[in-house]
Parts: sequence; structure tokens; C-alpha cells
Amino acid sequence: MHSNLSVTQPIVTVENLSVMRGEYLAVDNVSFELLTGTHTAIIGPNGAGKSTLIKSVLGLVEKRAGEIRLFNSTGKQSKRFKPEIGYIPQKFLFERTFPLTVSELVGLGLNNKQWWYSSKRKRDSIYQALEQVHLTKQAQQKIGTLSGGELKRVLLAYCLVVPRRLLVLDEALAGVDATGEMEFAALLHNLKQEHNWTILEVSHDLDLVSRYCDSVICMNRRLLYQGSPNTTLTPENLLQIYGSLVSPTCHHHEPSRRTESF
Amino acid sequence: MNLADVLSLFSLPFMQRAVLGGVLLGILGGILGSFLILRRLSLFGDTVGHSAMLGVVLAALLELPATWTLIGFTVAFGLGVIYLIDRTDLGSDTVLCISLSGSIALGTIGFSYLKGYRGNLLSILFGDILAISNTDLILLSLLLAVTLAWIIISLPEQILLTLNSDLALVKGVPVRSHRYFFIVLLSITIALTIRAVGILLVNGFLVIPAASARLICQQFVPFLATAAGIGAFSGVMGMVISGAIDLPSGPSIVLVQLFGFLAVALWCRQS
Repeated sequence: MHSNLSVTQPIVTVENLSVMRGEYLAVDNVSFELLTGTHTAIIGPNGAGKSTLIKSVLGLVEKRAGEIRLFNSTGKQSKRFKPEIGYIPQKFLFERTFPLTVSELVGLGLNNKQWWYSSKRKRDSIYQALEQVHLTKQAQQKIGTLSGGELKRVLLAYCLVVPRRLLVLDEALAGVDATGEMEFAALLHNLKQEHNWTILEVSHDLDLVSRYCDSVICMNRRLLYQGSPNTTLTPENLLQIYGSLVSPTCHHHEPSRRTESF
Repeated sequence: MNLADVLSLFSLPFMQRAVLGGVLLGILGGILGSFLILRRLSLFGDTVGHSAMLGVVLAALLELPATWTLIGFTVAFGLGVIYLIDRTDLGSDTVLCISLSGSIALGTIGFSYLKGYRGNLLSILFGDILAISNTDLILLSLLLAVTLAWIIISLPEQILLTLNSDLALVKGVPVRSHRYFFIVLLSITIALTIRAVGILLVNGFLVIPAASARLICQQFVPFLATAAGIGAFSGVMGMVISGAIDLPSGPSIVLVQLFGFLAVALWCRQS
């Protein structure tokens, strides 16, 4: 299943990508690369096409033009790498009485064959994943009883239950309180270091982007800027992206964690 | 009617077929209804069920075999409705209401063109589980076998796409194929259930056992098993009650399901 990608090779390459949403050109001629083991944030105002861009990368939305290479493969060839991609969607809506426990949801991350493993082997994999997100006590709780922050950590455990190389998060912290946000971001960062994940996430929190990301893609349908948080999150750029100066704390980051991925 | 009379009633072959039919329909309704309500398609069952009137009228007008025409019609109608839901920006409830109204309008017009005795057509409204034949039982058994095999092979995929179709797509689950196959199984089940309980009560078989199970179960597999168990139990109890106090069989089964649901809802509220 693993391709022969070296650490310095791009795990995702997007070239001249354009995506329509109905009659609307949501993503216009965007190109970027993600190197293995890097954490990249996509930022931009509402309606900038950020979610459309990552959904297109994941194959959830059809592209109008351009090329997307995942793990050095395109089209149908790249489909065989799907089990190596973890995804946490922006909206995860279900009815409170949905009959599914936390451990069952995490178990859905296993492949079909693993799902029918003996219960002990399966339980061990699930509990290991839950342990990493500090949610073993909630294993038998119904998912409808969880808080927003807990649910996002369960989805992280869903991604952890099998080895992944690429993690894609679409505003994963939307609807989570400030404490939950900080906890999730720190947890994600630690797990990324531990598992050498490549992360692509849509985010509105420039403080967290500045603190944890290696690179930033600024877009408003078109690509505006890309590079390290140091070089992209400048007052002049933010003014152009958002029309006002936002998140003045965005430069209080630790430069030692950064590597250029472009 | 005393116990001996009831027991002798159930020694009759047509009653045994009806009980077995009720059990098979109950299990099928419980399993498929579980996915139906979680995927918020309850109105879909009602729409396909009511559209069957058009299928029956077509069979009578074209002088085709009723069972096979009804099965073919419900499958084609169900797939057509889901295709429209997928391909339009309208809400699913809007598409379902349009399809429901259109099929009933066409069915009523077709009905007015039929000449001669129409009593058999009217029985489609209420069904007749006592008229279940050996062929119906064989069809139901085959359908249940295919449904169980499909569930066993793809249960984690079915749960994931029910919970969040984007997560399923990213994992590589063939979401569209699974959805359409589910609609085929559901439509055939509806067609066979209509013959037993009629257009007006068919959705009860799909929705009520699953709704009861949903209130009491925490986990998915027990939820499916409980819904199927409630469906089967209601089939037997409904037939026993209808035999003991001489009530119509189909409505008796649905009433057992309903009282079961009310009891579970009350128990959940108190606990």
C-alpha cells in the first residue's frame, strides 16, 4: 500500500486546480504542494473556496480543470491510497439518539477485514486509539452524549485506529469552545510529531495557525499567498485577505517548529 | 374463542403461511427500517408505498402478473425518486411529495379507465396477509437471505455512510452503489409488504419496530437485532390477537408494533 515517497517528496500536489460550485467558480487556478510531515493551514474569508479546495483534494467534489496528485498518483490510481487518508469534516451532524457508541465509531475507521477481527484484537486497536486522545472512559458512551470537543477527539481517534499518512481537517474546531480548541490543537500537534502525519487543514484561528503550522495557504478563490506563517501572516497580507487587520497575536509562534514546504 | 380454538386455527395451512409471512416481513422491515429512519428516509417508504397504486393499476390495465409488476414498478419508482433527489437542488421531502402526488394522480386516472369489478384493486389499500402464498414466502425468504448477506458483508460501510457519507467516501466506500442497492431491497420489501398489509400500513412495518429499537439500544448491531426481533414478535402476536378476537390481521400486527413503541417510549421516559 505504501508508495515510495521520500520525506522531501510532495505527498499532495495540486496544479492549476479550478472547481465550480453550481455556476460559481469557487476555486480558481490554485496550485500548491504538501511535503511529507508538514502541517499546512488554508486560510481566507468566508466563501473563499477553502472547504471546496480540500473536498476536491479528497475527491468529494469534482474538479473543472487542473490536476491533483495524491501519493504521487492521479485519478483511479490514487484511490488505493484512500485508507491512508484521515478526514475530519467541518459538520458532523447526526441525531442525538443515533445508536452508536464511541468505541463503535472509532472501530469504523478499521478496514472491513479488521472490523470482523476477534473482539479482543479489535478492542485493543480501538482502546489504543482512544487512549491517545484521552477518551477511554467514554468508550461505551453513546456518541450523542459527547460535547463538541470530545466528538472531534473521537474523530481523531477514528483517524488513529489505522496508520494514516495524510490528515485533512475542515475547520475541525468549529463549534468547539476556546479551551477545547487549545487542547485539540496541542493534541493534534503531538500526534503529528509522533506519527509523522502530513496535515492539511482549513482554519480561521490565526493564532493556532501561527503556533502550530509549518506553512500557510492564503486564498480567496485564487491563491493569494503561500509560505511560512512568518512570511504570510503579515499585517499587509491580512488586510488584503480579510479587508481588516485580524488576530494581532498571530506572530507569537515558535520558529523552531517550522519548515518550509513550498 | 378459547385457546383450543386459537390453536386449531393456527393448524390451518393459510394461517401458518400468514404467521411465517408476518415473521419474515417483520424481520425485513426491522432491518431495512433501521437504516431507513437513520438515513431520514421515512417519507420515502410512504411515497413508494402509495405509488404502488399506480403499479397495481398498470398491471390491471396491461393485464400483467400483479406481484411481478408491483415489484418492478416499486423498484423503478424508488430508483427514479432517489435519482431525482441526487440530481436536483430541491430538498428530498419536496421531491418525495412531488413524486407521491404525481403517482397518485396517475393511478387515480388509470383507475377510472378500468372496466368491470374493481374489488381486488381496492384490497391493495388494506392488503390481506391471509392470502400469502407459498410463492410469496419463497420470495420473502430469498429477499431476507440477500439482505442478511448484504448486511454481513458491508455492515461497517453501511453504518459509516449512514452516519456521514463524506467520511465513507474518503474511506473509499462505494456510497452510491450501496445507496441504490438499499433502495432496490427496500422497494421489493415494500412491494411484498403491500400485498400483506396494504398501501396505508406498509410504512408502519418499516418505521415502528426500528423507532422502538432506537429508543432502547446504545449500539448498532443490537439495534438492528432488536428492530428485527420486534418486527418478528409483532408479526406473531398480531396474528394471534387477530385470530383470537377476530380482527383484521395486518392492522392487528401494526397495532402490536404501535403499542410496543408506546410502552418503550413510556419506559424510556420514566427511566
